[in-house]
Amino acid sequence: MNITYPVRKKQQLNTLLLITALLSGFIISLYTQSEFLLQVNDIWQILTAYDSSDIKQQVILSLRLPRSLTACLIGFNLGAAGLLMQGLTRNPLASPTLFAVSSGAACVTALNSLTFAMVSGLPSEAAAFIGALTGGLLVFLLGGGLNTQNNSLRLILAGIAVNGLLTSLTRAALIIADDTAYSLLHWLSGSLSDIDWLRWTQLWPLSLAALLLAVSTCRGLNLNALGEQTAFSLGINVTWLRIRVCLAVLLLTSISVTIAGPIVFVGLIAPHLARALCGRSHFILLPVSGLSGAALVCWADLLSRSIVPPAETPVGIITALIGTPFFIYLVVQGKS
Amino acid sequence: MSRYNRILAGGFSLLLFLSLISLFSGAQSLTVKTVISTLINGGDADFIINQYRLPRIFIAVLTGIGLAVSGVLTQGIIRNPLASPDLMGISGGAGLSACTVLLIRPDINISWLPPAALLGGFSAALFIWLLNRWHNPSPARLALAGIAVSAFLTSCINFLLVLHPVEVNSAMIWLTGSLWGRSWDYIWPLLPWLIILVPFSFYLAWSLDLCALGDETAGALGVNTQRLQIMALASAVALASVCVAVCGTISFVGLLAPHLARLLVGSRHKLILPAAALTGALLVLSADTLARNLAPPLELPAGVLTAVLGAPYFIFLLHRYKGW
Repeated sequence: MNITYPVRKKQQLNTLLLITALLSGFIISLYTQSEFLLQVNDIWQILTAYDSSDIKQQVILSLRLPRSLTACLIGFNLGAAGLLMQGLTRNPLASPTLFAVSSGAACVTALNSLTFAMVSGLPSEAAAFIGALTGGLLVFLLGGGLNTQNNSLRLILAGIAVNGLLTSLTRAALIIADDTAYSLLHWLSGSLSDIDWLRWTQLWPLSLAALLLAVSTCRGLNLNALGEQTAFSLGINVTWLRIRVCLAVLLLTSISVTIAGPIVFVGLIAPHLARALCGRSHFILLPVSGLSGAALVCWADLLSRSIVPPAETPVGIITALIGTPFFIYLVVQGKS
Repeated sequence: MSRYNRILAGGFSLLLFLSLISLFSGAQSLTVKTVISTLINGGDADFIINQYRLPRIFIAVLTGIGLAVSGVLTQGIIRNPLASPDLMGISGGAGLSACTVLLIRPDINISWLPPAALLGGFSAALFIWLLNRWHNPSPARLALAGIAVSAFLTSCINFLLVLHPVEVNSAMIWLTGSLWGRSWDYIWPLLPWLIILVPFSFYLAWSLDLCALGDETAGALGVNTQRLQIMALASAVALASVCVAVCGTISFVGLLAPHLARLLVGSRHKLILPAAALTGALLVLSADTLARNLAPPLELPAGVLTAVLGAPYFIFLLHRYKGW
């Protein structure tokens, strides 16, 4: 059985607005705050009159473009991951940040990069994946599992405790590794400052695979929204659905953390934004939530560069400043 | 000697023992003879013993007492086992304002830090109180709201530290709580506050026991519950704030110490308060001693170690908590 959701005019308009916000953020982030005084015109020049010896065009192509693309894709990943988690648990507070998936990935990545750790020597994607899995599993085991409909609060509180624990461990590891490494603190708060094309080529293939997996779970998630029992009686293999969703979430989160550190609260905000804009069907929500996440990270990155111009603020701090009031709002609004 | 006195005596001797360990151990290990002669006449190791390790021991004990007493009062008033000053955002508010003052005016006199922290702590408490008034959430949801508020305040601190980069150990004081570089200078601003507030809390403890019977019964027994609640909360906030002003947001001490004390001595506040104060002092002192000795000469923030201990305990509390 497929549930069909009518697509209204308003939703199309909303999506269009969202795409406009994303595109404008993307274009602005390509040229603002540069030592080379770039202008919109330079981007136009690349498209119409490409000149490989022009320094401005080279700056945009080799420094700005990979960074902006990465920001968008990471935002897309996190937004999609948040939506999948909220869809599966039917818990409005579920997100990679609050379920300690991000901090788990960050913790094991940090341990992995140190020489004394046992896990050392793994590729960083694998380390992040293991960490994300550990963080998420810990939260679910300690918080009472998936079947606790009435205990969604306990799950969140357990998630926050595990999050605190893992973040503390990461900080300890970083200090022991190098007590002068302020840049590591930056990475811990999520930073896009040293992104190049190499990073982008690490990022996109895995992201694409995970997103395809995510799309394949949409039908199941639509039915899951009616309750697990109903989904089961409508022919959904709930266990298999959970496995696929979890795998997609872990992949999406861990690859993003590997590249840019934990950019917090994007996965919490984006799905709510998407639901406010575009209804209930996961087929539409998934891309819209992804686009919201992308727009969010893109604009946050833009902001993070313009606050103290030559220096860079980690983008994760900006998203935390936006995300935590939203978190407070969600907590207060929710029915107990 | 009753069981209670034995527990207190045991805790106290443990604290003394731990202080001695803390005095002897560190990046540079010293012999018993040197330590004793330095304590009496000074000498070569004067800086290490008298100016570095000794004040840290005192500050650890004092902040431990302050945070633990604050935790007992908070849990007693809100009657929520998940409540504590750091989980309610009070420590976060105090940390944010103390950190702001210090970053904007690095040369400010240290004795201004506690008042600044008080301002921040009371603002955060007021915010939580208003939230509680408007939405009247369930206890668990209130705890979550407090955590959300402290997450926001922590991200503000993070943001400030990025705008004004400081040395990593000082940053850690405000991010996780640490006793790094705390000398005698920091004891004097802290001490007067504690001398006033801790005995006051002991005085309130008697009425708090009546409050545990329920607001109506307490009223019938002659306790002005509303005034008591306000006074107890105010002194809880003040205690947590002045401690945070000195050594940052050392997390989970205010949550752990009252619970451990309750396990040891039962649920009467008159008995809990001294036991919790001892437990808190032990917790912070052992965290700081470990932090200095795990990887010398490097230092871990003490708050990292209390979090490693406190977070699992918090999860354990979640399992026992029945009021969802």
